[in-house]
Amino acid sequence: MPNSEAQVLDPAVVDQAIHWLVRLRFNPADEQTQRTFEHWLRQRPEHFLAWQRVEALGDDFAGVPPDLARHTLKGARSGMHRRQSLKLLGVLATVGGATWLGRDYTPLPALLAQQHSRTGEQRRFQLDDGSLIQLNSDSAVDSYFNEQRRLIVLRRGEIIVNTGADAGSAQPRPFWVQTRDAIISTQNARFLAYERDDGTLLAVQRGAVSVFPGSSQTLSVNNTVQAGNQRLFTSNGVREFKDNGLDVWSWSDGVISAHHMRLGDFIGALSRYRPGLLRCAEEVADLRVSGTFQLADTDQVLALVAQSLHLRIDYRTQYWVTLSAAS
Amino acid sequence: MRFIINYVFSEMLMRSNDTLGNADLALLYRSHHSWLHSWLSRRIGCHESAADLAQDTFVRLLKSRQISPLREPRAYLSSIARGLMIDRYRRRELERAYFESLALLPPQAAPSEEDRLLILDSLERIDRLLDLLKPRVRQAFLLAQLDGLTCLQIAEKLCVSRSTVERDLAKALQHCYRLRYAEQ
Repeated sequence: MPNSEAQVLDPAVVDQAIHWLVRLRFNPADEQTQRTFEHWLRQRPEHFLAWQRVEALGDDFAGVPPDLARHTLKGARSGMHRRQSLKLLGVLATVGGATWLGRDYTPLPALLAQQHSRTGEQRRFQLDDGSLIQLNSDSAVDSYFNEQRRLIVLRRGEIIVNTGADAGSAQPRPFWVQTRDAIISTQNARFLAYERDDGTLLAVQRGAVSVFPGSSQTLSVNNTVQAGNQRLFTSNGVREFKDNGLDVWSWSDGVISAHHMRLGDFIGALSRYRPGLLRCAEEVADLRVSGTFQLADTDQVLALVAQSLHLRIDYRTQYWVTLSAAS
Repeated sequence: MRFIINYVFSEMLMRSNDTLGNADLALLYRSHHSWLHSWLSRRIGCHESAADLAQDTFVRLLKSRQISPLREPRAYLSSIARGLMIDRYRRRELERAYFESLALLPPQAAPSEEDRLLILDSLERIDRLLDLLKPRVRQAFLLAQLDGLTCLQIAEKLCVSRSTVERDLAKALQHCYRLRYAEQ
């Protein structure tokens, strides 16, 4: 309804609608109130439009679990107040060229300067030591280098690291990546780290990587992963990684590549690259997908998959897409 | 990504007849874009993010209903950019708090990864609203919306009269309305 969205309503009418909302939604309403309200609603078309809008104002609350919302909002607000963040920006303005790299842990600039990618975006950048970092969709990292070590903290999502020669140092400093579940250490390697719900996936393409599951206090177990291998780590240790047919490296070429992969798994993997909900019906989840698809256009990927497997695509909105069997 | 934004930007330039004149905007973009980019780079120390923010700033300017030519374009652009930096910062704070909350709650209460973005978007809007409210109004509004309490129950909890609670809720909803329908 683009027209009614744009229509400017008389503030007095909006206030009346709000008054009714408070009386009806946040108070036990009797029949008399209900009748008076319905009379008001029918009086003028603007009343109806105002009511529609006002009634929808709480929509944001409807979609969030109350406990989670309460904790999160409280946590975010106690973390730093908006006015303080304004001040923070003032401070940064005078600090000037505080760079993201090359200095040790500097909490405030790091908060703002974190490298991140949006959903559907992939990004690559080079660090001072020559290392190349690739960020997959919806990922974030911080880097904290000092004289002893190079440290990347994976805040969210997935990265591929190709360590550089670190020519500026007398000898290459150890390269660490800290994830939720493990600390990964290497001198020279190309590897991938992905924070999944069930643990951190580590895949190594070149060189060798040591993994210390758990937090830094429990660095007792050491596992070395050689080139060509993939492992899944939780904070308790190693878990068997089940290959589901996805080429875990394929995103670095801007594609998603699957071999005989369950449609359910494929859709799960693809949904990382587009905002909103992407689902498939249970009755088709076990169909198999093979092929290589361009991630730049996920609508097209869906269209291609749907065509080859005879599926129907329902776009409830651009952000809510469901695949099911074509009838 | 930035290529796409550039493209969208030029598309929008062609369509925005009712706001700033096209020629004005094009001129604004040409004369201040690289200044804004380096202004942002200096502040956030990250070239790429700065480039994105600079684009977002112009997109925001396009969407705003600014009609007259700008008298102090750089001050205006940097104030938009500053707002965007804060939005990003707030978003990150929210995401951090979200994950911390998940760790505190029983596992079955955790939403799926797919719902995470939708929930965070909602929380971002709620957070922006809460920012505009006085503490008591904020508290009453959350008790009503999150806990489903009635005005009377809220009144008892906060030790104020029921009509005060009703006024507070109306105030919160007015802010809510303005954020949604007046400020775009």
